[in-house]
Amino acid sequence: MAVDSLLMTSLVLVYLAATLIIGYIGYKKTKSSEDYLVAGRCSHPVIIALSYGATFISTSAIIGFGGMAANLGMGLIWLTVLNIGIGILLAFVLFGKKTREIGQRLSAVTFPDLMCKIYKSPLLQYIAGFIIVISMPLYTAAILIGGARFIEPTLGIPYATSLILFALITAVYVVFGGLIAVMYTDAFQGTIMLIGMTVLLALTLIAVGGFTAGTTALTNMADMVPKALASQGMTGWTAMPDLGSPIWFTLVTTLVLGVGIGVLAQPQLVVRFMTAKDNKSLNRAVLVGGPFILMMTGVAFTVGALCNVYFVQNTGKIAIDAAGGNVDAILPLFINMAMPDIFVVIFMLTLLSAAMSTLSALYHAMGTALVCDLWGRGKECALSMKAHQVGIVIMMVLSTILAFLLPISIIARATAMFMGLCACAFLPAFAVGVYAKTPSTKAALWSMVAGAVIWFAWTAFVHAAEAKPLGLCQALFGKATLLGAPWTAVDPLVIGLPISMIVMIVMQYQYARQQPATPAAA
Amino acid sequence: MIFGIPDPQILIGYGLSLGLALACIVYGWLYWNEEERTDGS
Repeated sequence: MAVDSLLMTSLVLVYLAATLIIGYIGYKKTKSSEDYLVAGRCSHPVIIALSYGATFISTSAIIGFGGMAANLGMGLIWLTVLNIGIGILLAFVLFGKKTREIGQRLSAVTFPDLMCKIYKSPLLQYIAGFIIVISMPLYTAAILIGGARFIEPTLGIPYATSLILFALITAVYVVFGGLIAVMYTDAFQGTIMLIGMTVLLALTLIAVGGFTAGTTALTNMADMVPKALASQGMTGWTAMPDLGSPIWFTLVTTLVLGVGIGVLAQPQLVVRFMTAKDNKSLNRAVLVGGPFILMMTGVAFTVGALCNVYFVQNTGKIAIDAAGGNVDAILPLFINMAMPDIFVVIFMLTLLSAAMSTLSALYHAMGTALVCDLWGRGKECALSMKAHQVGIVIMMVLSTILAFLLPISIIARATAMFMGLCACAFLPAFAVGVYAKTPSTKAALWSMVAGAVIWFAWTAFVHAAEAKPLGLCQALFGKATLLGAPWTAVDPLVIGLPISMIVMIVMQYQYARQQPATPAAA
Repeated sequence: MIFGIPDPQILIGYGLSLGLALACIVYGWLYWNEEERTDGS
């Protein structure tokens, strides 16, 4: 980077110092296990909204999906529609308030604990905890890789050192300060992200001559769509791909639906609802959360698509060619070329904030799942802060090891995989659990197992993007995927979630009457 | 072609994104002090 390294290093150190100081304030306010696990159930609405938003939006959402918009066009704006409509409005208004009330009434402290207490089923807590402990390290490793890959060239620190430092610094305030420290630092990091993305939008619009001028130029570049993409259904950067084409399936099922719906049942986000003192706090959080998400994903996708105009005007190449074919490199390259030096630093802090806020939430969710929901389920020791601190350290070490084993190309894929699995396994049981008068334990168990198994089977044996690199189908059946096109482009969520929902609904209808009302319905 | 975008699906996407963000602001403002219980379960 051309930016003065002294300035860059100084600002990064100031940022890290501020993060650790805020984390320390959180640590000083943490007096009990309830503080450590659910932030004392009295978080401020703005902190809830910024923490939820900053946890929701990772580096992958900005760099990975922004790069996808540069490659596939503005159709990704539909993910923003779902992010706000489902991820904020539906999540807070329909699920958030019920989750907070039930969580408070039943003294639930984690997502699996909430499911266990709603359905009065320890087995459900074990299964949910197991799914979290197995799958969340993959997403965590992807966040670690994304952060380290960015820190490496920016600060000139070797990749392995960047990854370990990144993991350790984030773990420090999570281990000592628990959820209060996580949410306080999230709010600080969310504010930096908001500033960074606002400036990015303004400078991009200046660079391309305004929104309408930029989109008009982008529309006129339709004949520059690479042949490989055009043959798969892409028609331009300001138009949706051809209906039913492979690119349409990828855009709509994996990127828009997979990530858009997957957010609803993510354990680390559901816990945020349980930190609110009352429903008023959640109402107020909606006011901040909606515009925050618009400024994150809406800006990333718009800037991603529009940067093609800048690259063509300045290099004669479209974005993906200018970035040497690497989708993840498009936005960093654009920022380095088109933005003033000081903004490069601001954007680096924006990305660091996005990565750290998501990472801290995942550490906390994994550690508490390991201790509270698996190892110590039902034991007093599960609620001791020390036990949770050990759990977080164990999961941090496991995720870091996994990050060294995974390839870099896993970042966006791992994000979509984790969100898809969460939706398939947890969403139907969670939705029925918070709303039904007599939620059926059998229905929840089978829905969760069916969702997880179908998701895994489709991922390993049908969805080409995962089945091919995984190689399990090839090893067992001698071919890369069991089904042909268009099924190989259909995301596992599109198959797993409806099946999980059907299992839940049918069994709920069949068994609910045989079951006494649960504590959730009190 | 509105705002330089020829595909109505993209325009609707942008319209809904802005509209939903606005809906969040209006919702938060209207229910700022409302402590309703979501009973019924």
